[in-house]
Amino acid sequence: MNATSEQRRSFSRRGFLGLTAAAAAAPLLAACGGGSASQGGGGGGAGGTIKFWDMPWATPAYNDAAKSVAEGFSGANGAKASYQIIQWNNFYQTFSSAIASKTGPAVSTGGGFQAFQFEQQGQIAYADKVIEKLKANGQFDDFLPGALDPFKSSKGYVAVPWQLDMRVFWYRKSLFEKANVALPTDWPSLLEAGKALKKVGAFGFTTGAGAGNNYANHSMIMMMVNNGGGVWNKDGELDLMNDRNVEAMEFVLELVSNGIIDPAAVSYTTDNMSAQWKDGKAGYGLFQVNVPQRVGDTSGDLLVADPIKGPHGDKATIVFPNNIMMYTNTPSQDASEEFLVYYLGQLKQLWQKKLMSALPVFKSITEMPEFANDPNNVKIVKDWQPIAKTFAAQGSTLNANLAALDGGQALNQFSQTMITGKADAKTALQTFQSGLESVLKK
Amino acid sequence: MSSATTQSGLARARRGVAPGGPGTLPGKRKSKLSAQATRTFFWLLLPSVVLLVLIHGYPLIYAAVQATHDGDLLQTGNFVGVQNFTTVLTSPAFWKAAQFTLWFTIVGVFGSWLVGLGLALLLRTKIPAGGTFKVLLLLPWVVPIVVSSTAWNWLVATPDSLIPSLFRNLGLGTPLFLADPTLASITVMVFKVWVSFPFMMMMISAALASVDTTVYEAASMDGASRWQQFTQITLPLIARSTYISWILMTIFCVNDFPTIYLLTGGGPVNATTSLVVLAYRTVFQDFATGPGVAIAFLMTMTLVVISVILYRQIRKSSVE
Repeated sequence: MNATSEQRRSFSRRGFLGLTAAAAAAPLLAACGGGSASQGGGGGGAGGTIKFWDMPWATPAYNDAAKSVAEGFSGANGAKASYQIIQWNNFYQTFSSAIASKTGPAVSTGGGFQAFQFEQQGQIAYADKVIEKLKANGQFDDFLPGALDPFKSSKGYVAVPWQLDMRVFWYRKSLFEKANVALPTDWPSLLEAGKALKKVGAFGFTTGAGAGNNYANHSMIMMMVNNGGGVWNKDGELDLMNDRNVEAMEFVLELVSNGIIDPAAVSYTTDNMSAQWKDGKAGYGLFQVNVPQRVGDTSGDLLVADPIKGPHGDKATIVFPNNIMMYTNTPSQDASEEFLVYYLGQLKQLWQKKLMSALPVFKSITEMPEFANDPNNVKIVKDWQPIAKTFAAQGSTLNANLAALDGGQALNQFSQTMITGKADAKTALQTFQSGLESVLKK
Repeated sequence: MSSATTQSGLARARRGVAPGGPGTLPGKRKSKLSAQATRTFFWLLLPSVVLLVLIHGYPLIYAAVQATHDGDLLQTGNFVGVQNFTTVLTSPAFWKAAQFTLWFTIVGVFGSWLVGLGLALLLRTKIPAGGTFKVLLLLPWVVPIVVSSTAWNWLVATPDSLIPSLFRNLGLGTPLFLADPTLASITVMVFKVWVSFPFMMMMISAALASVDTTVYEAASMDGASRWQQFTQITLPLIARSTYISWILMTIFCVNDFPTIYLLTGGGPVNATTSLVVLAYRTVFQDFATGPGVAIAFLMTMTLVVISVILYRQIRKSSVE
């Protein structure tokens, strides 16, 4: 029929296949196509402008304040700084494509282990001279104990820490009073408190492993570390199957089987988790600094708990020392270093304005009234910071492999398996170990 | 002029043949014109071809390079041949994701088609406030997926969310829609159908609008029942549009990242991890670029094959 052949002509095989191929190629483009490499506002390659890229670490007010600090920089040779916010979504792709095209930053904050990833690729400028300058101006001695050590590699300081994203146990005081149970001091008392809280409709080990929520991952590693274990041994080799880890995960499964961990937590986003805290469903659990502000309950009912002892007497938690790194692609390495020293010196403003949801790395900031007036903050600095270990535990130096651990598929799957209680501790750890081995760079 | 002559004349006119016949051109002139036309077509097409090669060709080639190397997003690394493909194809996670993708696509395509078809047929009848109804039905498609996934999360995520509470009040227990692997899979698929049915509804509505109502009147006079009219007239007449919408929805479903990732993140325990989510997580969370791009390549090849099969169906339906 003519009408049909006309239609067929207007819808040719080649045209159709072209369109189909274009549409079908979308996953390829999504997976590997360079994401837009956001460029810094100042054009770092010219005029001695240091491009500083920063993440949305807190509310937009934080970024406004950080921008103001960065743009207040005035270097000795007339160097200036520009400020650019990089969203967390696909941030590694954003950094990678920008660095590959030489349009990346000269200095940046970023993922906790990002500096080590880019160091492997020869893109990081070591911060040894910055450390020397900090020694000279007295700031070096102001670092909290152990804050700087994880960044010292055999070649030099890969980055400089600026805030500590600490994981600590929080509790809701009224729920403990209602349950008439004492705060946990060790694992057996944690179990007892959990059982008592369950009777009043609350959960004694609040966590979440849903979309974009890493708190369950952190809770699992924290429990291992709290038992003297960890993902790695002291030499930095993968060591998930050690007895301490098995024991810790068996304890977590005991919490699960007693209904102390919410079975729905496997799908909780951070917002769901915050809602559980706000709604009085969460009695006790691992969370970050500034929980009352985060969940919107500043009544004084949410408090930082004491660290608990593992069955062998170990006491530890985990910390993510967020850092500022310098890149080799800079208009002037001297200006980059000068900017970094300047920026570290101005950090107190961010805590003075109460914009941060993390601990500062400098003792002097922890002593400022704006910070020290909050007893929760004081307790974290006094009781938790000294026992904090990084994701590298039982090792001490951070490395690029930790990026594949933090937020990687192996750890997510492991945490979700633990919360659902679908496997015994050894099987779950073995699967975790195999998953990690398959993605770690040898 | 007889009817046959009229039809013949119309057919000739549509083919562009003058009443006097197609006529003939001297051989040399014809070939000269043809060569000229070819050159013109070539130069007219060239900008588009260059653009297509730049937009699609370069990323495809770059992806092929990455899929056959062991590098990362910054460095190409060493050539490893088909090792990344072997790694992916021997991974249980890949096959689990492929299985979920298959179900997600089947439910997404046919679920949204059935709902879209039902509503398109309903909208053909005169209902009060039909215009408002149409606009409201488009909302799931129009609202940004970030917003709708957040809304769905709040509806089902915790035991105290609205839907689980409703079940509990009806004495049906407290289902954990996102925490139970089976329920999470079903929830994600239902969410996909909810997001996609307006697209299907629009496609089918457009196809239905082009169907001459006199055909139904004639069929009715011949004694055809409503069901017979639906199966013998409506479905065949919208077949082309249906196949096209199936192809597009298949591509949308297989490539769908936000619907799944924002609602479940691929969990619990990978129960809702589709191939595109797996590819993303492999590249950007495990930093294993080669295997991640290899997954994307395999998806692309599969989509092309599916599309060709469905395209043949379109041709077949056109001929019929």
